[in-house]
Amino acid sequence: MITLKNIEKVYQTKTIETVALHNVNLHIPKGEFVSVMGPSGCGKSTLLNIMGLLDEPTNGIVEIDGLPISRYKDKELAHIRNQKLGFVFQSYHLINDLSVLDNVELPLLYRTGVSAAETRRLALTALEKVGLSARTKHYPTQLSGGQRQRVAIARALIGQPEIILADEPTGNLDSVMGEEIMNILLNLNRHDGTSIVMVTHDENMAMKTERLIRFFDGQQVSDAKTSAYDYQKV
Amino acid sequence: MIRHLFKLIWNRKRSNFLLITEIFFCFLVLFAVLSLIVYNVRNYNKPLGFKHENVWLLTMRPDTDSTALNRQTLEQILQRTKGFQEIESVSLTNSNAPFAFSQMTTNLTYGQKEIKTDQFEVQDDFAEVMQMQVSKGRWFGPADNGAHHKPIVISKALERQLFEGEDPIGKVLPRNDSSSYQVVGVVDHYRPSSEYTAEEPAFFNRIYLPENEDEFYGEILMRVKPGMGVEFEERMVKALSGIGKGWTMEVATLEKMRQNKEKVSKVPMIALAIICGFLILNVALGLFGVLWYNINRRNSEIGLRRAVGASSSQVYRQFIGEVLVLATFGLVLGVAFAIQFPLLQVFDVESTVYFIALGIAVGMIYLLAVGCAFYPSRQAAAIHPAIALHEE
Repeated sequence: MITLKNIEKVYQTKTIETVALHNVNLHIPKGEFVSVMGPSGCGKSTLLNIMGLLDEPTNGIVEIDGLPISRYKDKELAHIRNQKLGFVFQSYHLINDLSVLDNVELPLLYRTGVSAAETRRLALTALEKVGLSARTKHYPTQLSGGQRQRVAIARALIGQPEIILADEPTGNLDSVMGEEIMNILLNLNRHDGTSIVMVTHDENMAMKTERLIRFFDGQQVSDAKTSAYDYQKV
Repeated sequence: MIRHLFKLIWNRKRSNFLLITEIFFCFLVLFAVLSLIVYNVRNYNKPLGFKHENVWLLTMRPDTDSTALNRQTLEQILQRTKGFQEIESVSLTNSNAPFAFSQMTTNLTYGQKEIKTDQFEVQDDFAEVMQMQVSKGRWFGPADNGAHHKPIVISKALERQLFEGEDPIGKVLPRNDSSSYQVVGVVDHYRPSSEYTAEEPAFFNRIYLPENEDEFYGEILMRVKPGMGVEFEERMVKALSGIGKGWTMEVATLEKMRQNKEKVSKVPMIALAIICGFLILNVALGLFGVLWYNINRRNSEIGLRRAVGASSSQVYRQFIGEVLVLATFGLVLGVAFAIQFPLLQVFDVESTVYFIALGIAVGMIYLLAVGCAFYPSRQAAAIHPAIALHEE
């Protein structure tokens, strides 16, 4: 699915050189739910951006389905993001001037060959999956934080991606809502086989995933199956 | 995508209201100025109906009030001008000579129709002096001496309005209680006022000196041979001043008079175009500023769009598209207002003028919008998605 080989990311200004990631090697196979933990500034989001093809590594190779994407042009990377990846952000990133339905339909606007009717059908299906069928005409400002995040998940789902990259999806939510969102992600992973990489600060949430990778100062310090691994494989 | 853009702009109508209003007013001003320009340019390209090159206008002011004496001198002067070899043809006229700042109008009636028309009093040789073509009938001449009705030659514009398809030749029109006009000929065009003004209905009334004993005509139009200049002018005026002793005589070429009239016609156009230019510049700066601000405010949205699969060129096209949609909203309102002008035939101007101005104004607004959106949209397209998403 996604493979990172010897990834290094250095942010360079005139005076300072900051190493965000150093020698990261990772393989996310199809259908796996991986959580990434670590203190703030340890490079988790940078890692997710590189995996999501939103940022380029300074060194190293990123492979999607076995193909190195280092020579891909902007248009090709956008195509891969649209076809294979879904994003969920801590701050939802919904467009407040668009209705819930229109927000969910957004990724398919950039996909050719999908009719308006088909887009609408897929959006409604995605909203149904996250339990928001009744809120299609609402605007993001009319929803609670948990509902907004569910819209964001529906938006990530509509394109039927192979992998969802979630950057602290429960970070802005209280524990009950956080739990709801986590359950939706777990369901997606178990029933649809969607791979998920989730950055989180919450140990409890991380322990519900199959695999936990810990980062510290830009380096991968541990990568282990969690106790949920056996349960999920049953 | 177009539907998405319209939805986005419509949902943001409150924040876009001022911008749409600005585009609306800019369009209206542009439409007004362009209508004036198109009107003038179209008139400029229409035939004048005469050739003014090598035609001079001699203006005379007698020093006495004695009509009889003045008439006698005038006839001598006229005879003398005809005697110059350098002069090809001569005609007396009134003060409303071509390109003069003077107009004479009257009403002509035919049946139930009454038309206000320009009237030009000229002699038999006027058509030759101005090299005018008669398209129907004939120009008046010695054959009309002693005619029961006063012969007139009308323009096609008057023919259309007064006779509406009937053959005008031979038609008798009342002049006053005791006399009448008879149409003897038709000329295609006659636009003596200026090259920028529309053609008005006109007719030419014959000056036949033996029958116009009480009238004094202070202007003589003369066609001189090509190449005649100041030297001949001085010689001619000197000779004529010898006849009209104490008379004031001025000679002007019709070309010079045309240039003076052109300046007068161009000044309002240029003034309006300058005002319009400033307005457009103002709107452009406003549009640019608002777009720049909006795009900076929408970094997170740009990042999101990139994340869900938009390439940088698609982001660029989206912002250009948004501005075009925004302009469309302003233009829909503007066109709805402007279209009333041709529909209601405001100012009696041809509908085509308004439609051409409308088309150009729409095109210019779109160009302006795209021009203003070009740089901010490029900036938006260049935003790094990871940084844009992180900003929120």
